[in-house]
Amino acid sequence: MTRVRHIWSSTSLLQWLGFGLCVSVTTPGWAVPSFARQTGMACAACHTVFPELTPFGREFKLNGYVLDNIKQVTGIDTSAHQTLALNSIPPISLMAQISYTHTGAALPDSVLNGALAKDGDLLFPQQVSFFYAGKIADGLGAFIQLTYDGVGDSFGFDNTDIRYAHHFSFGGSNDNSHTMIVGVTLNNNPTVQDVWNTTPAWGVPYSNSSVAPSQPTSAKVDSGAGGFGQNVGGLGVYIWLDDHFYAEITDYTSAIRGGAHPLDSTQSNVVSGSAPYWRVAYEQRWDRNSLSVGAFGLNANLHPGLQGVTNTALAGVTDRFKDTAADVQYQFIGEDHLFTFLGTYISEHQTLNASVLDGFAANTDNNLKTLKLTGEYYYQRRIGGTIGYFSTTGGSDAVLYAPAPLTGSANNSPDTSGYLLEVNYLPWLNTKLQAQYVGYKKFNGQSTNYDGSGRNASDNNTMYLLVWLNF
Amino acid sequence: MKTSYVLAIAMSTSVCVGGIAYGADATADTTTDAQKASLHKTIETCGVCHGVDGRSVSPTFPNLAAQQAPYIELQLKAFKDQSRADPDAQAYMWGMASQLNDATISALAGYFAAQPAASGRGGNSALIAQGKHLFEEGVPARQIPPCATCHGAHAAGLAVFPRLAGQHAPYLLKQLLVIQSVLRTAPVMHGVIKDLTKDQMQAVVAYLESI
Repeated sequence: MTRVRHIWSSTSLLQWLGFGLCVSVTTPGWAVPSFARQTGMACAACHTVFPELTPFGREFKLNGYVLDNIKQVTGIDTSAHQTLALNSIPPISLMAQISYTHTGAALPDSVLNGALAKDGDLLFPQQVSFFYAGKIADGLGAFIQLTYDGVGDSFGFDNTDIRYAHHFSFGGSNDNSHTMIVGVTLNNNPTVQDVWNTTPAWGVPYSNSSVAPSQPTSAKVDSGAGGFGQNVGGLGVYIWLDDHFYAEITDYTSAIRGGAHPLDSTQSNVVSGSAPYWRVAYEQRWDRNSLSVGAFGLNANLHPGLQGVTNTALAGVTDRFKDTAADVQYQFIGEDHLFTFLGTYISEHQTLNASVLDGFAANTDNNLKTLKLTGEYYYQRRIGGTIGYFSTTGGSDAVLYAPAPLTGSANNSPDTSGYLLEVNYLPWLNTKLQAQYVGYKKFNGQSTNYDGSGRNASDNNTMYLLVWLNF
Repeated sequence: MKTSYVLAIAMSTSVCVGGIAYGADATADTTTDAQKASLHKTIETCGVCHGVDGRSVSPTFPNLAAQQAPYIELQLKAFKDQSRADPDAQAYMWGMASQLNDATISALAGYFAAQPAASGRGGNSALIAQGKHLFEEGVPARQIPPCATCHGAHAAGLAVFPRLAGQHAPYLLKQLLVIQSVLRTAPVMHGVIKDLTKDQMQAVVAYLESI
């Protein structure tokens, strides 16, 4: 299952650039009963608690989502080669999220200066997704998500990962033998193809409010505002060696949905050429434990295009983003007690030649450093909680981080940090009732009057209640 | 992955293999190579949890290496017909076994039975000694017969009586508990362990894991 982003149409882009600039654009949505229907296995085989994957879940995904335990519609040619192996029951499912959001202080009215929006927002639904998730053919599988977004009141293409995987064995039949999966992935969100929950597409929080203010700035490989999710297409290859070592390289280019096509100056952050993503990880399993350490990164050259109300041509110099990240994940999966630790550090160096030239940024060289630390505990996969810390720091930039009500920074800083507290109750394995609290120690550089309009970081503290159904 | 199942695959090619994994069940039975490939994939699928060599990492999943082939066959058929219905059976094995045909079940049982057994793992020596005594002598005062009577003096099992030696202690403990509570049906065992206490269970599984 994957983290879900909102679908942004060209008309909603203006809203995004205005009031919604620092409102979360990510809502996750996974845990796909399609897989249970296809494999005949309960959620617990692949998930600790959805959407976090167990070691078996990681193997299932790396194998191309193709493990099936249901009757097949098959075909062969005269050489007995298989020409069709199709699930007799399609692996489809639905997800629904209904949420209520309350912030520390009411948000500003989106049109009227000085007025306030309603304090407390019910989204019915926040999101509804339709999935095809499972086998397409022998070795070929897909996770395809179509989402209705309750805020944008739109329905569109969401996270997608189509992959082919093949097994190899080499080294003979003794203890020196090796097994390797070689796979190809075609996806639309860097890290949506990843199998650890330390990478952004599947990272914590697994669900968050889509209307509350959240981390206003994030690295391109990260899942927040300005990320690549659903606006790119990438083709990659990966290996998984001896159930220990993972390596992948995927090359992305822009695949923005809606708006002008071919892409032109009315689109934002169009990739110049292609943007390579890389990933390595090592996992060790023992007893009921698994530990993985890894690194990943993304290099991208972007044309700023439309920024605010100014268009710039997709030509000439570009903005360059170089993201490098390290991650560590530990899982203990006991009969009754489940514990997970997730750690991610992302460093982004920005060389904003185009933005400076066009007046969208003050500094040529900027940087962002993001740290996320999360601990999770569940008892019998039924009740549990999450404690998390997050921090993003970066150099000040008078244009990128200019003062503005709610979304701006009085001291031109992107620095934001805070904590996450979550209690989850799962009366059934496919149903999650969640209460989440996000508290900000600092928002856009300061804890008090951070935007220059009198708003404090704690005014953005968010209570989020969620009913999350998968069926 | 450390695997040595080429011989077992070769031995099993005389059977018609209906795989469970990767859609290999219906059409891959017409050639020897197809049979090999199908069983190979099926074993790899089993191996994700149980280890391709039948020696699992997580104690949630039992070691299958050197397990009695008739016992493996019996259990796979019980998963398939859903007569074995303990929680993990439902969560994992009902699906996994649902598309297995008898020939594949036999081939898998033969393959895993032929793998070298897992080594014992030491633990609390006092507990192990208590468990050894219980395994070999039973608890006469409570009419609990020695486990060795059916499972063998070295817990290697015999036919439908499973090998217990070297098995993960948490797995064995869970099985004793679900058999005692009749979540898992095991007619002989229901009577044998009905009065076995949890402390006694922990002792005997510690011993079995150690040998």
